[in-house]
Amino acid sequence: MVEVREGFYDEMVDASGAPREHARTLVDALEALGPEELAAAGRRRDAIFMQQGITFDAAGPDHEGPTRDRPFPLDLVPRIIPANEWRSIKRGLAQRIRALNHFIDDVYHGREIVHEGLVPWELIVSRSGFARAAHGIRPPGGVYCHVSGCDLVRDGDGSWKVLEDNVRTPSGISYVLENRVAMTRLLPGLFSSYRVRPVDHYPALLRTALEEVAPTGGEEEATVVVWTPGPFNSAYFEHAFLARQMGVELVEATDLVVRDAVCHIRTTRGLQRVHAIYRRIDDDFMDPLEFRPDSMLGVPGLMRAYRAGSVAIVNAVGTGVADDKAIYHYVPEMVRYYLGEEPILDNVPTYLMADAEQRAWVLERLGEMVVKPTSESGGKGVFIGPSATEQELERQAERVMREPERWIAQEVVRVSTVPTAGADGSLAARHVDLRPFAVFGDDIRIVPGGLTRVALREGSMIVNSSQGGGSKDTWVLEDGADAGGDLAAPPRWAPPRMPGLSQGQWAAQQQQQQQQQ
Amino acid sequence: MLARIAHELYWIGRQLARAEHTARMLDGVFHADVQARPDQPAGVLLSWGHLVTIVSGEPPENPASREEVLGMLTLDPEHPTSVLNCVTRAREGARTVRDVFSAEMWEAINTFHLGLARRDMSAALQTGPYSVYAYIRERCGMFWGVTSRTMLRDEAHAFLQAGAAIEAGDMVLRMLRVALPPGGEEAEEHLRDGQALALLQAVGGFQAYRRAVPAPPNAGPVARFLLYERDYPDSVAFSVEALHAALTAADPSYRGSPAVLRVGRLTADLDFRARTADSDAAIAGTLEAVQRELAQVDADIAQRYFGGPATPVSRVATLR
Repeated sequence: MVEVREGFYDEMVDASGAPREHARTLVDALEALGPEELAAAGRRRDAIFMQQGITFDAAGPDHEGPTRDRPFPLDLVPRIIPANEWRSIKRGLAQRIRALNHFIDDVYHGREIVHEGLVPWELIVSRSGFARAAHGIRPPGGVYCHVSGCDLVRDGDGSWKVLEDNVRTPSGISYVLENRVAMTRLLPGLFSSYRVRPVDHYPALLRTALEEVAPTGGEEEATVVVWTPGPFNSAYFEHAFLARQMGVELVEATDLVVRDAVCHIRTTRGLQRVHAIYRRIDDDFMDPLEFRPDSMLGVPGLMRAYRAGSVAIVNAVGTGVADDKAIYHYVPEMVRYYLGEEPILDNVPTYLMADAEQRAWVLERLGEMVVKPTSESGGKGVFIGPSATEQELERQAERVMREPERWIAQEVVRVSTVPTAGADGSLAARHVDLRPFAVFGDDIRIVPGGLTRVALREGSMIVNSSQGGGSKDTWVLEDGADAGGDLAAPPRWAPPRMPGLSQGQWAAQQQQQQQQQ
Repeated sequence: MLARIAHELYWIGRQLARAEHTARMLDGVFHADVQARPDQPAGVLLSWGHLVTIVSGEPPENPASREEVLGMLTLDPEHPTSVLNCVTRAREGARTVRDVFSAEMWEAINTFHLGLARRDMSAALQTGPYSVYAYIRERCGMFWGVTSRTMLRDEAHAFLQAGAAIEAGDMVLRMLRVALPPGGEEAEEHLRDGQALALLQAVGGFQAYRRAVPAPPNAGPVARFLLYERDYPDSVAFSVEALHAALTAADPSYRGSPAVLRVGRLTADLDFRARTADSDAAIAGTLEAVQRELAQVDADIAQRYFGGPATPVSRVATLR
């Protein structure tokens, strides 16, 4: 069906170009549709997304000129994850998140992992995500990273690896839900003979988790809010989406006020106490009294309320320390240390540039490496060795030498591909990653699948939507669904009988009919 | 006004409300059916067979498939309560009441009908029914919007509204009765973690529910919301109240009208039941009682305003 890129794992077809077992019916359905139909569906998709405002701001192709709304690029070929693969991903993620949570608790309390000599203290305190103000604060239930989205990739041999941990404010879940809705509307035919697990319960999971950690004392109903930096934030669509789906208020800093170490929102009926805040704003901007004094987005006194335990902040203050790319290197070690288990999901081999030996080793083979700044997100500042020119190589080596602690290097992953539709409806292999979303309340719950991002340019591995990436609907299949067919269970009870719908009939109707003659 | 015209208006209201509810239900079930069930397969049982039960009163003899039901209830000219037939009948009615309709209302309903009859509608139903249901929703919304903007608030308006209100109440009751699991031991299992999302989506009330009710959308709270929540415009309580308002506006001596008295009693009864904690098992009984009462109101209306008993309720549409 499509040409497979040499040396890469394609998730839909095997090396010989034949569809994999679980993808066979999908491939048939796509072939039956044909390129014209697919392209037509693509045009319908763009129209619907523009109407519904599912867009993101992007500068023109040359990053110049005014930014304008573009429909979020959803690729119409879904990605399938069979049930057994998903099971192990899910277990691996839950394990990793649990370890990260232990680590954050440890960093702000006993620092046992430091005393054991496993992670150097200088490294931890020098991370931009480390928050001194969070020292000694243990949030309700001991949960710090309530919401997380780790980035996974599939290597050349088909094995899943963690590329990055996002435990600050990972975004993208709104696109997971909207993509699914759009797919069921645009190409419902593709779903036939698959049992795809639904994703639309995420907002309910999140709300439940927020209520579970809200310090209400068990006496009152929890008031939960979503805190956005404002409508100019690039993820504002998602903030509003989550607030709407959870049925809670979307607040900005001016709506929040702290009195006597208790946080409130200003309402038409006066101040109302807030128990849990799902914040989509960085630590630095949260409270000008504790963090950046110039923050206009913050709420003075919020940390006081937080410290007093009268409000839950989700994710907790200071989680950023676990999401740093230099800390990432130590996560498998954390899993062993805190949980006494072997990691189920592997890291991509990573080298710390702060370490002289590793640095020297990497600089020799910079052309085969990916170099990333430790405290950036969104693919900013990432250097990809194999596609760099001589000049760029030299410049990057210089940067690493100048500020070694700001950089890490990773081996190039042979990121897997999935066939992807072009504007003309033809299919070609494109590289993908996966960001599953987990919610940690009383327990860790993970929505089946997650956000699959796809690099729309040929050969590119940069999947960020700000840099020309798109997304795919991600299907996790139900157990035993591979057999296909309609598995609808027989009805367990008979619905009650009732009179059929009546039709209005005018008593003198026959007269009317005679008029016609 | 003429009894014949009042009757016609009342039924235009009913037909349009019926068309919109049928379309929303079909869309909601389709969306849920394309995917697998949530983690717990229990929850709410709104399936294709149930939709047939809702409109015909009896479960289909053979298990109903998606394509069959979609085709039958949307664009089948043979099926008496398909959306197409509802709209056709509403348009035929509108033809006879053009003197009391504003020109814009007539145009809205006529365009609606022409659009449904277009040939590419059936093709769209095959490839992606969403666009068909979006069209039906939009056009219904347009008709009611134009009506509220341009129609004189006279008796004619009141009868149109009364028809829409009683039909909306009846449709939601039917859906709840068919979709809600029965009481008893088995109900426990169903209600435990059931996602009643499909029910809410089938009436377009998901966000309203989220804002109004703190509980997750499980079967019990959703049923109570759709039955009792007076602030939600598609709940049974709201429809009954709207029916009461419409009938009092239509009848200069409404104090003597059995229909108004009965609806008044029903309003109070719903309010009362909403305040007494109703167990999930008892809801099924309430639903049945309210539905029977509404049918009685319909007969009262026919008796008092349309000058004669309504024709006997006929059983229509068994699935072939």
